[in-house]
Amino acid sequence: MKRRLSWDYLMIRYPAFFPFILMILSVAINLFLQPNMLERETLNSNMRVFLPLILVTVGQAIVLIGGGIDISVGGVVSIVNTILATRVGLEGSPEQMWQFVLISLLAGMLAGSVNGFFIAYLRLQPIITTYATSFLYFGLALFILPNPGGGIYADIANLYRTSTPLGLPLAFFVIGGLLLIWAYISSTRYGKYLFAVGGKANAAYETAVPVTRVQFSIYVISGFMAALAGIAITMLSGSGNAEIGGQMTLNSITAAVIGGNAFSGGIGGVAGPIMGAMTLGLIQNIISFAHINTWWETLVKALIIVLALAVPGIIALIRRRRA
Amino acid sequence: MAKSLSARNIVKHYGGVVALSDGNLDVCTGEVVALIGANGSGKSTMSKVINGVVVLDGGQLLLDDKPANFTSPQVAKNLGIATVFQELSLIPQMTVAENIWLTREPLTAIGTVNRKAIKENTEQLLSLFQGTYKTELRPDDRVGSLPPDEKQLIEILKAISFNPWVVILDEATASLDSRQVQRLFELIGDWKKADKAVVFISHRMEEIFRIADKYSVLRNGKTVGAGDMKDINDKELVKLMIEKESVFSFSRAKMKEEKIAKAVCLEVKDLQTESLHGVSFNVHEGELIGIGGLRGQGQRDLLLSLFGDIPYSGEISIFGSPKKLRHPREAMKQGLALIPGDRAREGLLYIRSILENLQLPSWAQYGFPLRIGKAEKDAEKAGESLNLKMAGLAEPVSSLSGGNAQKVVLGKWLMRKPRLLLLDDPTKGVDVGTKAEFYALLTQLCVEGKTILFYSSDDEELVGLCDRVLVLYDGLIRIELSGASLTKENLIAASLGAANEDAI
Repeated sequence: MKRRLSWDYLMIRYPAFFPFILMILSVAINLFLQPNMLERETLNSNMRVFLPLILVTVGQAIVLIGGGIDISVGGVVSIVNTILATRVGLEGSPEQMWQFVLISLLAGMLAGSVNGFFIAYLRLQPIITTYATSFLYFGLALFILPNPGGGIYADIANLYRTSTPLGLPLAFFVIGGLLLIWAYISSTRYGKYLFAVGGKANAAYETAVPVTRVQFSIYVISGFMAALAGIAITMLSGSGNAEIGGQMTLNSITAAVIGGNAFSGGIGGVAGPIMGAMTLGLIQNIISFAHINTWWETLVKALIIVLALAVPGIIALIRRRRA
Repeated sequence: MAKSLSARNIVKHYGGVVALSDGNLDVCTGEVVALIGANGSGKSTMSKVINGVVVLDGGQLLLDDKPANFTSPQVAKNLGIATVFQELSLIPQMTVAENIWLTREPLTAIGTVNRKAIKENTEQLLSLFQGTYKTELRPDDRVGSLPPDEKQLIEILKAISFNPWVVILDEATASLDSRQVQRLFELIGDWKKADKAVVFISHRMEEIFRIADKYSVLRNGKTVGAGDMKDINDKELVKLMIEKESVFSFSRAKMKEEKIAKAVCLEVKDLQTESLHGVSFNVHEGELIGIGGLRGQGQRDLLLSLFGDIPYSGEISIFGSPKKLRHPREAMKQGLALIPGDRAREGLLYIRSILENLQLPSWAQYGFPLRIGKAEKDAEKAGESLNLKMAGLAEPVSSLSGGNAQKVVLGKWLMRKPRLLLLDDPTKGVDVGTKAEFYALLTQLCVEGKTILFYSSDDEELVGLCDRVLVLYDGLIRIELSGASLTKENLIAASLGAANEDAI
């Protein structure tokens, strides 16, 4: 077999290769526009903004690997945000906070279980199901907190905002932890099932893989990760807003796809999507530092994202033409 | 320890279609049983019943003479029944090793998959077919990047990796080359000695006689004969597979000599694709040429390459001028039409109206803006001439029965007034009445001077309808049958690659 270092080989073997290049590129441009970017304070203030999306994206990435999609993650983020903002409150004690953090995580997993039940056991289309439940979850968030307000105790929020253990942003440790956990999970039997179900569910069934249970589990994981993101974003903003998760669904899907996880399932990992999510954040930074007219901001950002999504396809097209 | 597995009077329906009405099979350790039958006789269904992939509707499975119930593939697997699936059960994105050991991965102390162990075990398994791989096959190669024969070998290795006592090989040799088949047969010999059993499903007579100890013949979902291989020869086997009295009442149009005198309208020279290895033939105007043979011998590639749908090498001349067809559009311009067999996927837009479906290839004729009135009138006329039973042109195609839906597929191409029709198994899943109408229509079209290339998996149709039949086997035309030699016996014998040319 040809075993030269071909583009195809790199793309399949190391799905995080392309997003890595993209991220380095973004960092370089960002550094050029914002020379103090790598200083502790700036780095931390950037990373703490990126972290919520990174958390949602990790969940989304796992769903995509398992052959599904989760449109309801933004709703879960909003629910968690409104729960914390209304139940803990600006005067809330740390004990109260941790108690509701636990409840939030359970709520996220419950929301994921609802998705999983519909998709795995009732065999409904993932995209339709989670689109429908996203309204349910946003609706619930609005019910809990109709108008933006509430919040959490500032000291608790600062724990998230300003912690820099060993001089590094907190987010780095969270990302490191996520990567370690993923490295473990993906090499367990469950990890193999995940890729098998996403790759070819029929073949997995004939091989006696518990397809239904695996499909159910990916949505629970995604709900859990969305709840974590909800907690992070609440500590970041310190206040409540039922609309806070709105942008995150599509951003998480974009990040995961830039990160090399295919819609068709069975391909990818978590490192790529994390870099994808950071790239999205960096692009936002670049645009604000490039002093682009506010009116053009969305357009420019969208153009960069479309380009990033298109590059692997363009490379494949050129390669096909040459062949 | 002798073990046995028996299936008694198995019944299995898929919706309204009866796949098995009285299937029987007996396997004991130390023997190879060949499960034989023509296309659609229920062989694959039989294998799926005894490995638990489908739940049976009637009958009984016996394991060591005790009733058994296989509710899922897992249950059958745990009882030591392994299957090599015809439509491989491999996951293309995963590696060879991951695929083989899926669900049975050796684990380390901390619960992760023991990569070293699965790699070693895989290398051991791969060594069984050592020397027959075209490439250097490694445990961590992605299955999706392997050629078909190596995928098939991996599927076989996956089946035997958990040390079953019975292995079901469903057409496992179809994509293997002779060296690989030879090696597989040596392995089967070893398994027999090790008190294992094999159910061998194959279309190749020569292989069946080489390896099988016993046979069991299915015809239309019924087991019609079983016994020892040594008591039977290939002609008798073929006879068992064929229905005694034919229900086919259509007779061929008798104008063959006239047709041969007409001009050649299609000339194919050394046509090659991935599954065709050099096919040459001529077709005269007004002829109805059948393409026969077992499924997957290159028939589909032949039709698709003639329609410019897949890349090919070789020469194609249409009405005397050589053409290189790169896109279906170019073929359509030459007056070709392809009527696909898979209605749901290729033939129709199910949720759209009958009118839209009929006019889809022809809209260009109706100008801009579209002259809907004329289009409706033309579609109405086409519907009438096809005797299409519908509530109205605006109804969606999904409201039609299978036979009528297939008429829409045919109608949509006839509206373009093609000169050369390519038919890809058009009567699959069509009721008997509509089939008869179809046959009449095809003959009528030929009388009108159209030329038809007709692939069918139904041997009776080919014999009853066609002027000539080209039998494909392994990507080559094995034989051309016409006139007195065009009989069902000869067709089936040639399809199976049996060596009874004396009869032809």
